[in-house]
Amino acid sequence: MKKQLSLAMAAVMALSLAACGGSGDSTTSTTSGTTSDAATTEGSDVSTNWGDVTLTMWGAEEDQTMLREMADAFIEENKDKGNITINIGACSEADTKDNVLTDPTAAADVFAFADDQLNELVAADALQEVTLNADDVKSRNLEGSVEAASLNGKLYAYPMTADNGYFLYYDKSVISEEDAQTVDGILAAAAKAGRTFDMTLNDGWYIYSFFAGAGLEATLADDGVNTVCNWNEEPGADVAQAIMDIASNSAFVSAPDADIVSGIKNGTVCAAVSGTWNASTAQEIWGDNYAATKLPTYTLNGEQVQMGSFAGYKLVGVNPHSQNVGVAMMLADYITNEANQQKRFEERNLGPSNINVNASEEVQAAPAIAALAAQSDFSDLQRVGANYWDPAASLGQILQSGDTQGKTMQQLVDDAVAGITAPVAQ
Amino acid sequence: MAEMVLQQPLRADGKEPNFLQRFGHGFVHGDIFTKLSLFIWGLGYIGHGQLIKAVLVTLVQALGLYYLGVAGIPNLMKFGTLGTVQMEMVFNPATFKNEVNDYDNSFAILLLSIIAIVVIVAMIAAAMAVVASNYNLQLIRRAGKKTNNFVQDVRVYLNEKFYVTLLTLPVLGVVVFTIVPLFILIAVAFTNYDQQHMPPSALFTWVGLSNFFTLFGGGQSLSLTFGYAFGKILIWTLVWAFFATFTSFFGGVFLAMFINDKKTKLPRLWRTLFVITIAVPQFVTLLLVRNFFGDNGIFNTMMSNLGVTDFLHTIGLLSPNMDYIPFLTSNGWAQVMIILINIWVGVPYQMLIATGVLMNIPGDMLEAARIDGANPVQMFFRIKLPYLLSVQGPALVTDFVKNVNNFNVIYLLTQDVYVTADQSMASSSAKEVDLLVTWLFRLTQEQYNYKMAAVIGIMVFIICAVFTVVCFRFINKKEATFS
Repeated sequence: MKKQLSLAMAAVMALSLAACGGSGDSTTSTTSGTTSDAATTEGSDVSTNWGDVTLTMWGAEEDQTMLREMADAFIEENKDKGNITINIGACSEADTKDNVLTDPTAAADVFAFADDQLNELVAADALQEVTLNADDVKSRNLEGSVEAASLNGKLYAYPMTADNGYFLYYDKSVISEEDAQTVDGILAAAAKAGRTFDMTLNDGWYIYSFFAGAGLEATLADDGVNTVCNWNEEPGADVAQAIMDIASNSAFVSAPDADIVSGIKNGTVCAAVSGTWNASTAQEIWGDNYAATKLPTYTLNGEQVQMGSFAGYKLVGVNPHSQNVGVAMMLADYITNEANQQKRFEERNLGPSNINVNASEEVQAAPAIAALAAQSDFSDLQRVGANYWDPAASLGQILQSGDTQGKTMQQLVDDAVAGITAPVAQ
Repeated sequence: MAEMVLQQPLRADGKEPNFLQRFGHGFVHGDIFTKLSLFIWGLGYIGHGQLIKAVLVTLVQALGLYYLGVAGIPNLMKFGTLGTVQMEMVFNPATFKNEVNDYDNSFAILLLSIIAIVVIVAMIAAAMAVVASNYNLQLIRRAGKKTNNFVQDVRVYLNEKFYVTLLTLPVLGVVVFTIVPLFILIAVAFTNYDQQHMPPSALFTWVGLSNFFTLFGGGQSLSLTFGYAFGKILIWTLVWAFFATFTSFFGGVFLAMFINDKKTKLPRLWRTLFVITIAVPQFVTLLLVRNFFGDNGIFNTMMSNLGVTDFLHTIGLLSPNMDYIPFLTSNGWAQVMIILINIWVGVPYQMLIATGVLMNIPGDMLEAARIDGANPVQMFFRIKLPYLLSVQGPALVTDFVKNVNNFNVIYLLTQDVYVTADQSMASSSAKEVDLLVTWLFRLTQEQYNYKMAAVIGIMVFIICAVFTVVCFRFINKKEATFS
């Protein structure tokens, strides 16, 4: 039945992507069953007698080995409760939603995802509300991460990392700490050194920071699918003008991620707004001159305004269609607990959402994590609907090109808002 | 089965009776077994002494009825609403599992109903064929001849009627993998199947023609840009298909003529070099080329070093605040580049085909033209081109349709690179460089807007079908006059 469904769906749309899970780790570990013993001693209490359980878990490609270790530890720890098998598949946290929503009944039991996908996953009933251990999960993780994992007061996922946002990193030999406080300062210093300050403007994720900084909002409507946006109200048009002014500065380059990395490598870039995924490159190239901090302020109508940002968390969710929801919740709980967040930080340098791990000295000493912590005062949860991205990116594209197509700034933001707030169901 | 043994002709005009007439005649004039075989297929064959066949056809009938009874009819009953019971799920801490109610899955209902309809139609047709074939058997027996036994029947299908045996599998394949999905695609276009109505957790239902109104600019506020985006994308799709087809065709023809020319040295080497580009997977070439022509790619660096970028600034082709050439990132530039890059990808194939066709031109025709004093240009336009077109006309039509649906080139060259500056396009998640198929892909893959994707799918189908029919009519007429 499931097979028929997915087969037909694939055929209907005539296109199917090689999605996650296909490259799944086929080596699976199984504990020798000691279930019979447990059954006799514990009776039929299901919380201690799980029987035969097979779970599938999706995580990032780079995390596969670590996830396998965590899964094996989980199996080992619970071998008295049941005969557990865990299969692990590769799926980038950024694409989880696409792969889960294609057919939730065929998706993994436990999957990692970026917190911006939470609302759509909940809307499609593809996330299990955390009903076991919820208070413990809430109390051991940073407030922001718990908020990111919750919708309408219900906890839907287990916070895993707290480092998925963006911040400023720069080359200390070119830009002083004081310069790094303002966009103007960075641009002046970069121009003097003949180098550039890079940021991706034609992307809704980054352009948000200017509008959010000016106190404007783009957030999810009550229905959980559509977007509310007031960028066309005061001072939205001025923000757009400010962005265009920055973009037209000769020391500023609006570049996609890959170009920022290559720019850092070949020495043209001396400061960039990006996330932890590129920070390691910068650290390597700039060495001791590498510094990271919160986003700078920019000039809006002659005043300095602090740039906002989207805070980003990675979460672990449980599929409600799972045959073993209970054990799946236990597993999700386990791989995001304090010890495993410590392990994540040590092995993969991922910023923990766990309060204790986050407070540890070595975590606080990591520049990227300190920068994100400083930015967190100015960051918002990423709660926007599907129609946000294309119109916002289009606005950024127009502003970075400097060609306003004969429209005034007010018309540009009006049109962008019309697209962003358009109802998703067309 | 033996030849028809008809007492009197069924049709006054003496033509072969059609399927319906044979069934009607058989059913009316048949004996009790022939009549019964309409309801239980095996009974007729038992009555006419073909036991194994009786078992087999009854088995097939039982299978069909079993499907209808278990899945087909129950789902067909819900076909009108596509389900009414929404899924509800509660976690039971005692069993550690989620408890789900007996919910309706709209997509499953749609799928199983359409399969049921296909099964019903097939079974009715089969029943009629069974009656006709039984009437035949009855006539053979009445004439005092022996009917075929099972082994003889099998032999018939391996010899005289081997084409039936050969065609069975492909026809089944077409029904299962083409016709059923096509029906589903068409059906989805009349439903509200989108992100807010995604099975299994939500239901979707019939909405009539409203999706088509949306496409053509009626209805809600946003549909205005949807119709606008559809129009713009449709025009670009056709422009692209036209240029992609003809640039590759003429590029291939000229390349083949240059390589085949007697003065060209080492023709085999050149031909092999071009064929090698076919051997590299297309997507690798395309992704590499995309990086070459990136805003900070190699090509831009070269252009800037050579002073071309500055030159474009001075002649005004490039706005002064752009220090790179937006090969793939700006409207206009991107379209031209895509067509040019496609020439590179498509020409080698056309060269191979054109080489073959050109070699087939009768030598005496060219010789005669040369003696009459025709120059190479005249020979090309008067002899070679008409010949090429007459041979390759149908292939060009299919190429055009293929290019209308040329997903690879467009998607791989522009995805993650091209951001539209047209806000009305952006509001419908479209880009100026999108073809209908790439737009359709993003609507389904990123927005889960299956209903609009289905509508666009139907439009693409109609465009391709009309174009193909018109072209083939034209070509057939032409062919009749060309000799």
